[in-house]
Amino acid sequence: MIEFVLDGRSKVNTYNQLVQQVKQALRVGLLAPGDQLPKVREVAQSLAINPNTVLKAYRELEIEGLAEGRPGVGTFIKHDLARAALPNQAQLREELLAWLKRAQDDGLTRDDIRALVETTMRAGFKRD
Amino acid sequence: MDTALEAGRLGKRYARHWALRECSLRVPAGRIAALVGPNGAGKSTLLHLAVGLLRPDAGSIRVFGQDPHGNTGALADIGFVAQETPLYEDFTAEELSRAGSKINRRWDSEVVRQRLTRVGVPMGKAVGKLSGGQRAQVALALALAKQPRLLLLDEPVASLDPLARKEFLQSLMGSVAESGTSVLLSSHLLADLERVCDYVIVLNSGRLRLCGPVDDLIAEHKQLVGPRNGGTPIAGVRSVIRASHTDRQSTLLVRTTGEIEDPDWAVHDVTLEDLVLAHLAEGAAEAVEVAA
Amino acid sequence: MIWLTWRQHRRQVWFTLAALAALAALMVPTGLSMWGAFDDLKLGDCLARIPTAPADPAEAMPCSTALTNFRSSYQTMNLVGVLMLFLPLLIGLFWGAPLVAREIEHGTHRFAWTQGVSRRRWMLVKFGLVGAATLTASVAYGLGMSWWLTPLARAGQSRMNLVAFDMQGIVPIGYTLFAVALGVFAGTVWPKVLPAMAATLVGVIGLRIVLTTLARRHYQPAEAVTFPVVGATDSNPAAGDWVLGRGVRDASGRMVIPGIQVGCPSDAPGCAAELGLGDGAYNWLLLQPAERFWLFQTIEFGIYAALAVVLLALAMRRVRRIA
Repeated sequence: MIEFVLDGRSKVNTYNQLVQQVKQALRVGLLAPGDQLPKVREVAQSLAINPNTVLKAYRELEIEGLAEGRPGVGTFIKHDLARAALPNQAQLREELLAWLKRAQDDGLTRDDIRALVETTMRAGFKRD
Repeated sequence: MDTALEAGRLGKRYARHWALRECSLRVPAGRIAALVGPNGAGKSTLLHLAVGLLRPDAGSIRVFGQDPHGNTGALADIGFVAQETPLYEDFTAEELSRAGSKINRRWDSEVVRQRLTRVGVPMGKAVGKLSGGQRAQVALALALAKQPRLLLLDEPVASLDPLARKEFLQSLMGSVAESGTSVLLSSHLLADLERVCDYVIVLNSGRLRLCGPVDDLIAEHKQLVGPRNGGTPIAGVRSVIRASHTDRQSTLLVRTTGEIEDPDWAVHDVTLEDLVLAHLAEGAAEAVEVAA
Repeated sequence: MIWLTWRQHRRQVWFTLAALAALAALMVPTGLSMWGAFDDLKLGDCLARIPTAPADPAEAMPCSTALTNFRSSYQTMNLVGVLMLFLPLLIGLFWGAPLVAREIEHGTHRFAWTQGVSRRRWMLVKFGLVGAATLTASVAYGLGMSWWLTPLARAGQSRMNLVAFDMQGIVPIGYTLFAVALGVFAGTVWPKVLPAMAATLVGVIGLRIVLTTLARRHYQPAEAVTFPVVGATDSNPAAGDWVLGRGVRDASGRMVIPGIQVGCPSDAPGCAAELGLGDGAYNWLLLQPAERFWLFQTIEFGIYAALAVVLLALAMRRVRRIA
């Protein structure tokens, strides 16, 4: 079973940190399908955080298809990360690398690129 | 959904001075709510009204629909720990539990025994001789032994060292996870409560400044940085909570109605602390209330 | 609630019992000694043989000697008795004043009143049990003091006299109930133990002095007793009575020599003239008769008990309103 830690100084909010740590554990192989995630009560107690936060993180993992909750027993890992991967990820990644190279050639710094991506995302996603 | 605590235009006066005024709020059940504000803001007054120690001078207060004043039935559902954890100094934790079992309708002394054993607090030592952290654990255990539906804690960690503070909050979170009790705890330091609460109530000078679920409040508020703005409305901004200006630039903490599309403005997320401080600042806009 | 009250006051109870035991250790031997001396000197018989009606002084002589012996031996005991006047005050200070005041000063009312008992029940049990405990203690030392004082009283110390009256019978119970009630009430006005004790001290002493010096003499209309200047047959017509005023008046009733009695033997006719007393002059005594002892005790007890009830009722009203 894995153990959660919290980075108090991180800007990422608590429940996201928990979700990220599960995903990281899956990537690295510390967690495999069938493993049980720590009980909500234990996480809330050891980290001194709101149990609802833990529930929210576990629910998010369930929505993403990574975990499933078994009432009365606990929350278990259902699928590996690779299996839950989005379709066409490899191709999107290639296209992104090409675009990044072009942006760099145009003289954009990392922060420029980040700002460009953020503002475009805001405008772009809103249209969905 | 059950409402744990509801106040309707609640007011309390001491001689000519209103300690609490026109306070209307609603805390849904199952939440851990933080009550924050500077000293003298009215936090203890609100808690004492909620537990029936005080009677309102204006408006009303209800806990799970009942008026707590002089109502031992309502009190059976409320666990309360007052500021400075007042306990009978020469009683041991065992004796306090015994007293509790005699003067409460519902009491589970096993709760006290198990909790205190788990955190290593001796049951047979006079509580006056325990450390601050241990006393706080005893007070919490006693409040939980009543098996309350709502737990009210007045500055429970204010005078505890960081380790004791952490242990107390750990204990509290463990209990809430087990029992689903609603909690309202006050502090004049927000940092203590940030990771623990999912609902926030901000009081200042006896008035309500902010009230609502933390996630929604954070999602709805943003910090905008952009060219100097003298008050012209910005698309997507519902109201400006706080503004500061230089000759060229304005920094605004705003409440939004949706996405900010205006490219002039850089949009940043706010932390709960930013939000609370903005509402406590002088000249802040009218109170913000968000229904759960 | 009963257990809680007991546990809270447990130390106080032990302490009070220990103090009462120490008191008994002091009073019982001295009391037995006085009773012993009384019986040895056969003072009981003596006093029985001296009727209150006028009698021959010569017959009274041996008894007078015995009485004087007794009195001189145990004169100082009166001082010990006076210490007993402070017992009701002490009980009021240490049982009454802290009852509500300590609870509020330490903030424990925020624990006690937010459990499952109403303030009303809390008050009834606390006031009731503490009242019962102090009542028991006061009955104990009231009766004890009465027993202890009896030899002194019968040997000529009037029961009706100022300090003696306060120490026996049922009035110590009344003083105690009043002192405790005043302490409890003071604790609701000044919810800190020391100021409440100070207020109780001032209140108890003040009221006791006022009632004793001003009111007691008026419980019933005083009686006037007169007897002749010359040839009085009764050496002490006011034995056991509480004398409020005395003097020698002339035939017209005007006070001629205030503050003393004059007794001229019948065989010395010039005696009265020497003192400037004309014919028809008489001794005058204003007194409350000894027979009224229990009546006065009941009246005074009633006053203090009524005050105690009023103070407790006011205290209960105030507790309801405390923040």
